[in-house]
Amino acid sequence: MDIKDIKAIYKFLRETDIVEFELEGPDGKVRLKRGGAHAAHPLKEVSAPEAAPSTAPQKEPAKEEAEKAKPDNIKVVTSPMVGTFYRSPSPEASPFIEVGSVVKKAQTLCIIEAMKLMNEVESDFNGKVVSILVENGQPVEYGEPLFHIEVSK
Amino acid sequence: MRDKGPETEIIRLLKAGPGHVSGQGLSRALNVSRTAVWKHIEALRRSGYTIEASPSKGYRLLGPLPFNGIEVSSLLETEFVGRELFFHDEVVSTNSEAFGLARSGAPEGTVVMADSQTGGKGRLGRKWESPAGLNIYLSVILRPPISPEEAHWLTFVAAVAAAEAISVYCPERPVVKWPNDILINGKKAAGILLEMGSEPERVHFVVMGIGVNVNTTRPMFPDCIKNTATSVREANGAEVDRRALAARLLSSVELWYKIYLAEGTVPILSEWKRYFGFEGKEVRVASFDSTIEGVCLGVDETGALLVREPGGIVRRIVAGDMEAASSRCS
Repeated sequence: MDIKDIKAIYKFLRETDIVEFELEGPDGKVRLKRGGAHAAHPLKEVSAPEAAPSTAPQKEPAKEEAEKAKPDNIKVVTSPMVGTFYRSPSPEASPFIEVGSVVKKAQTLCIIEAMKLMNEVESDFNGKVVSILVENGQPVEYGEPLFHIEVSK
Repeated sequence: MRDKGPETEIIRLLKAGPGHVSGQGLSRALNVSRTAVWKHIEALRRSGYTIEASPSKGYRLLGPLPFNGIEVSSLLETEFVGRELFFHDEVVSTNSEAFGLARSGAPEGTVVMADSQTGGKGRLGRKWESPAGLNIYLSVILRPPISPEEAHWLTFVAAVAAAEAISVYCPERPVVKWPNDILINGKKAAGILLEMGSEPERVHFVVMGIGVNVNTTRPMFPDCIKNTATSVREANGAEVDRRALAARLLSSVELWYKIYLAEGTVPILSEWKRYFGFEGKEVRVASFDSTIEGVCLGVDETGALLVREPGGIVRRIVAGDMEAASSRCS
């Protein structure tokens, strides 16, 4: 199993409500757990407007529910790569953003470092930072949620 | 190949010589007026060339040649790296400059080079000493068709390229420290910092910044890095031609970048391992809030550093500062 397989599993899991997944094979064991960050920083209760009538097959209720649980205007910023999460450009500098910061599209939110490659993660939205899900200096996985941004109307 | 501009052409003609080249000859070759030729000669003098002008014979180029974009361009043997070259006598940071250019659409291979930086940067806001007249500070814009999680391989591409170029000028074989510092005799001679602009599935560009201490001599280093920094000249014993080393470095970057795109990570990692000098040695790796010490087991197939701690646990590290456990300086 290589990173591509793990990514494929992760992508599959994201489309379901499975939060933990374990697979054992001849070349090792992989265990994926997700949703921890969500649990620690719960979003508002299900209060989103009714989803528009869906043309999706009825056999995917889990996905629909997951989408309902997240208000339409709250967007998740995820990590584009495996690396270390930094909230500021240098240890002495102030963080790029705080909870409550108003951010503009293309504004830097954080840096993810992997082997001296610095990736400035930018906001895709104009909006307000609702939550910061990872602590400074911590390792992050590919696709791991980093921030919740409430998008301006 | 792009139009190199009249001043580049004048230098080429003056170098081709032999002897003096008449103002009339230059004006005809460039298809501009004699006054325009004169203005270009003045501009070239301001940028560091010594050009003798004799009313009867014309112009003659006298040495020594300056370190500038024209000179580096004249030595380039690359296909696309450095073919678009922005040279500055002084810039805040070649990486920042290149990042801005990349954002506004500069093509792959565009290079920003400077004789000095006022805000040269290292990892996490650290400073890169960038005095004028001595060293190479350059940044290459690359637009690889890869995803962000693969982009760290360009760190290894940069390390291999820098080690190869430096080795040409150095009797000692340069050693690479994970992931990409270049050491000569255990001291840092070059540093690499990559910055990326991306969206989740796609890399827009990577700015590959490389700083090489070329001609700094030991007394010139600030006290804080005196014991940990060195230069190619310190190893070589004589002044090194920055123009040639810069051109060579850009050739190496292009070569290894092409190999990476064509053949993937295996040849890059295998070349990198030839320069890696810490396998089996005691190392210390400082991460954000912890330090791991142990025996370096090399790197895995993803390029992550493997360190076996005294208790036997093997740690896999993707970000941090590695050093030999015997050294105390960072």
